[in-house]
Amino acid sequence: MDPLGRRRFLTSAVLGTTAAGVVGASALGSFAPEAAASPRPALDVGAGELDPNFVEGRIIGITKGLLLVTSSDRSMHRIHLTGATSVWKLRPTTSDAATVGDGLYARGVRMPDGTLAADAVWLNIVNLQVHITSIGRSVLHLDHRGDRIVGHVVAGTTAAVYNSTPAVSDLSLLQVGKHAQVVGAWRPDTNEVDLATVYAAA
Amino acid sequence: MLDWLAGVQQFLVGGVLVWASTVKLGTGAPAAARRSALRRLVGERFAVVAYRAVGVVELLLGALLVLPPAVVVEAYLATALLAGMLGYLAYARLRAPESGCGCLGDTQVPVRGRAFGRVGFLLVAAGLAGWSTGWWPQRPLAAVALLVLEVAVVVALSPELDRRWLLPLRRWRVRMSHPLGSVPAMVPLESSVQQLERSDAYRAAVNHLRSDLLDSWEEGDWRLLTYAAATAEGPATAVFAVPLRDYRPEEIRVALVPEPEPSPV
Repeated sequence: MDPLGRRRFLTSAVLGTTAAGVVGASALGSFAPEAAASPRPALDVGAGELDPNFVEGRIIGITKGLLLVTSSDRSMHRIHLTGATSVWKLRPTTSDAATVGDGLYARGVRMPDGTLAADAVWLNIVNLQVHITSIGRSVLHLDHRGDRIVGHVVAGTTAAVYNSTPAVSDLSLLQVGKHAQVVGAWRPDTNEVDLATVYAAA
Repeated sequence: MLDWLAGVQQFLVGGVLVWASTVKLGTGAPAAARRSALRRLVGERFAVVAYRAVGVVELLLGALLVLPPAVVVEAYLATALLAGMLGYLAYARLRAPESGCGCLGDTQVPVRGRAFGRVGFLLVAAGLAGWSTGWWPQRPLAAVALLVLEVAVVVALSPELDRRWLLPLRRWRVRMSHPLGSVPAMVPLESSVQQLERSDAYRAAVNHLRSDLLDSWEEGDWRLLTYAAATAEGPATAVFAVPLRDYRPEEIRVALVPEPEPSPV
């Protein structure tokens, strides 16, 4: 099914008359929060141990849905991407967005052959506590523990969360000299990030 | 000319040393000392004592430089002190890159190029002061103008003082020009995700979700968000419909659509 036809099908599944085989919301069981919270699977990783189902590192090679990654402890990992893998690179995107040199965090399931079948991959994601040192046209100059970082505002994507209220696209309440937390996509091997969300007080 | 130039420098170096000493002998000194690289250099116990000792030396030497008579040895002592300061900065940069230098203010600013530039500038000034022949230079107006200019250079090279003049200036510029005022208004995806995560529909489905957000699109008054899910019957796609413009998490709808086994892309 082409992507547009698939979107139309999924739209009708949730909003329209129920398509054959689709499980409606009520079939998921009680909506009470405590009912949903109780059957959480126990964490299978002991304190201080490496989580086999998680990989961080940088992509050094890509072959047909398989990412070759070196972690910061110099171990190498192979990561499988499938149609069911979510890929984030500044915004939810597709697996073609991955390029050699990208930093990555991946979560999934470790296969018997040692590869990681990824459920979710975040490319170049960074989460920084900063001070806003200057504001320019579509750019925030940030200070991160004395190091300068250039944060690019991406129209249509960059959002601001003021005082923990719902995210808005209005960035005009950001102030020079104030503290902020930014989540964004690093531009590999530079001190620049594209901004996804800026958390600040207003 | 050199004589005149040198005569001004003792006031610059002396003035800055006295200024620096007031920070080190003031009430904020213990906190500033603990944030500085001195803590690493002499240990936690002696950091405050060492910091205050440096302040006393700075005050004495600064007073000697500013007050008459002008003796050449004062300039040599200042040069030695500033050379030592340069070494201290290099140590801080290499061994304690996160801590500040504690030089001219009690705000913690890691040692970077500007701090080196400031001490280098003062070192050259102190070296020049060695050529001074008298206490008060001729052409006092020109001397004062040069002194003001040099102090401005020192202030510009002091990251500790940015919040006093640079940030207010930038804040004023932003107020005048509104550089981010023209961002087009829209409902950010993040806002829909936040609303979704606070809904009962999401709480009911979250244990089935395997991935982060897969895809999103808009349909009329709804934003649709999909996630990969796993059910007892096999893989599925969870589709959520979130009100696009309103905050009504109770109206969020969800459907689980069965999928064939995901194929490699």
